[in-house]
Amino acid sequence: MPSWSDFQPFIVSGLALGGVYALSGVGLVVLYRATGVLNLAFGAVGAMGAFIAWSIINKAGAPGWVGWIACILFGGVLTLGYGLIFGPLLADRGPLVQAVCTLGLALVLFGAMDLLWSSSGGQARSITLPSDSGGFTIGQVQVNWTSVIGLGAGIIITAGTHAFLRYTKLGTAMRAMANDREITATFGVPVRRVEAAAWFGCGLLAGIAGILLADLAALDDTTLTFTVVISALAAALIARLRSIWITFAAAILIGLVHDLITPITQLTDYRDMTPFVLAAIALLVVSRRQVFTQSREEV
Amino acid sequence: MNRHPGRRSRMLLATLAALALGVLAACSSSSSSSSSGSSPAATGSSSASSSSSSSTVSTSACGTKPGVAATGTPINIGAINTKQNGTDFSDIENMTGAYFACVNANGGINGHPIKFFPVTEQTNPSQIASLAKQLVTSDHVVGIAGSSSIIECTIDQGYWKQEGIYALGAGIAPECYSTPNTASVNMGPRYSSDGAVSYVIAQGANKVAFDQSNVPGTTYIAGGPNAIAKAKSVPIQDFTENVPITSADSIAIKLVNAAGSNGAVVLNFTPPEALLILQAAQKLNLEDRVKYWACSTPCNTDFLATALGPKWNNKLFVNAELTPLDGNTSPTAQLFDAILKQYGSDVSGGVGSFSEMGFVIGEIATHALESITGPYTIQSVSAAFKAVSNFNTGLLCQGYTYGDYPEHLPNNMDYTVTPDNGKFVIASTGGGCTLISNDDPQVAAYRAIAGTAPAVNPSTS
Repeated sequence: MPSWSDFQPFIVSGLALGGVYALSGVGLVVLYRATGVLNLAFGAVGAMGAFIAWSIINKAGAPGWVGWIACILFGGVLTLGYGLIFGPLLADRGPLVQAVCTLGLALVLFGAMDLLWSSSGGQARSITLPSDSGGFTIGQVQVNWTSVIGLGAGIIITAGTHAFLRYTKLGTAMRAMANDREITATFGVPVRRVEAAAWFGCGLLAGIAGILLADLAALDDTTLTFTVVISALAAALIARLRSIWITFAAAILIGLVHDLITPITQLTDYRDMTPFVLAAIALLVVSRRQVFTQSREEV
Repeated sequence: MNRHPGRRSRMLLATLAALALGVLAACSSSSSSSSSGSSPAATGSSSASSSSSSSTVSTSACGTKPGVAATGTPINIGAINTKQNGTDFSDIENMTGAYFACVNANGGINGHPIKFFPVTEQTNPSQIASLAKQLVTSDHVVGIAGSSSIIECTIDQGYWKQEGIYALGAGIAPECYSTPNTASVNMGPRYSSDGAVSYVIAQGANKVAFDQSNVPGTTYIAGGPNAIAKAKSVPIQDFTENVPITSADSIAIKLVNAAGSNGAVVLNFTPPEALLILQAAQKLNLEDRVKYWACSTPCNTDFLATALGPKWNNKLFVNAELTPLDGNTSPTAQLFDAILKQYGSDVSGGVGSFSEMGFVIGEIATHALESITGPYTIQSVSAAFKAVSNFNTGLLCQGYTYGDYPEHLPNNMDYTVTPDNGKFVIASTGGGCTLISNDDPQVAAYRAIAGTAPAVNPSTS
């Protein structure tokens, strides 16, 4: 069994990944609460944004910040476009159909990325942020600024979203729609506009997650399209697609457990199971509680 | 209508989300296997990705009758390459095709043009088997040259044997080296990892942390490095990683801790995955926490050297199976450059490891076909391939011998290169042509039956 000092460096990397999973999970939960759609294209949108950023920086020779902004805006605009076009068309369909449609978008983007940024010839692409080269040391542990940004972004986005939903008119409208869309509409809330805002916000978060994970994880279409969604979805699932703070905590837990298992030889090969195991445990606990509640009601 | 009607709906969504999680994971893992250690570069690619100096040799050097197009009856040659999302080896057959096009434009094979049938597969065994049959029965190929696939050798080796075909390609699967009817121009992941581990041990590393993709065949690959380390009494610890890698930082930390300050980390990954680990080490200032970093051949691309920067000069050592082309002005390098420019429009990766392998395959196949005096049949072409002996390709350390052996490892002498400000150069200490160690029992077994081909020391400048 590794010593405590062996585990310390993994806390930093786990927190950074957890932070990005958290902001992704928050994006999923907010969109679901506002529109009823589980956006499985979240990772693919961020991935394509990251590839566009890479092209802008490496092919067009533009400064890095131009690429990062383009990535975030691409996420926002594409997701908004999808929401505006398909949102109304699918409004009366069930959650399964709506979620599968976003999976369709994910697969279209995945194919487009493979076509436009082919891996032929064994070439590799990467995005590095200036924050990679700076950092500080805590004890024996090296912490770079990108890790700090990853965790910080998760905290700020979660807190900011919480404040937005609680204290702004638009946020209140989103919460109201989450409770009852029909009644909210009868009060004169512009439902379509609120939904559009939710789609746009979710897309912006996808772009931010894409650019951060391209640095922290990999600029790889498979990794960004699927891995991000798996971890973020697991976190959202643990929070039962309701609480953004529980989503945040679950995402941090997933990132931490995933990385802390790494030095344990017997478990290291199984660390990618972390989101599944934690989500399965959460589901079992939730369903067990509901069985008990139902039993009590029947009694 | 209320779209969030309460508990039942939430449970439905939770179930849906769990299902989606499973579906996404399935997609993820299936893609993973395609971009793993058996992916393009892990086949053991070589050389640099930047071109040689300006071309002074014309493409006419590839044929016996410069400028005279071949018009005789065609000689049909086939190749099968993996081409799928995340794994695309088609540059190999495309470069072989470019070489053949050059030959055809300059006299052909004794006046006969080579008609090339390159096909691609998506790691589907039945598809691969049917493609092999299609090449033989429908396209009437008389030889296979330019194949590179994750599982083609495994699937087709029995069929080639049945048809009496002796294939020439760039190998990945163990059967590309351990069966009589296939020979490769590269060393593949096991023997390239052997070279990397041998190098760091020779330089004084007292422990090795060997890490590779978690794909079928890892035990076979790790067998070589483990045997070499054991023979030198150097402890070695094996690791595998699920790919695509999602947390490179934690992997880098793990490997550095395992190797220790006087040890070495040796990676056997595709360029993208290796780059992730090396960049993570760089971000965390871990590069100097071990004595050496090393890689099997896939790391040998200028892209990687450029992305890593000068910190890794003489710190990272990469096994190279073919002669580096950076700054190489030898006639072979110039011919390579000229063919790529004139006929290589399909070679999407440009100058690089795969195209270099495709070129060498084209050279050897052409040399073999030119030796045939009678009709071009499966029997005569196979006999010609088997008869290739000590052929100097200009890009391999040794002369190339196919031979009539139960197993084939004709390329068993390699270089070691290190980054030098954005490109790879031969390491100044012990980087020249070096035999892969006999401590790997597979290498020893091959040399016992085929002998050790002498070095030809091709020009590297």
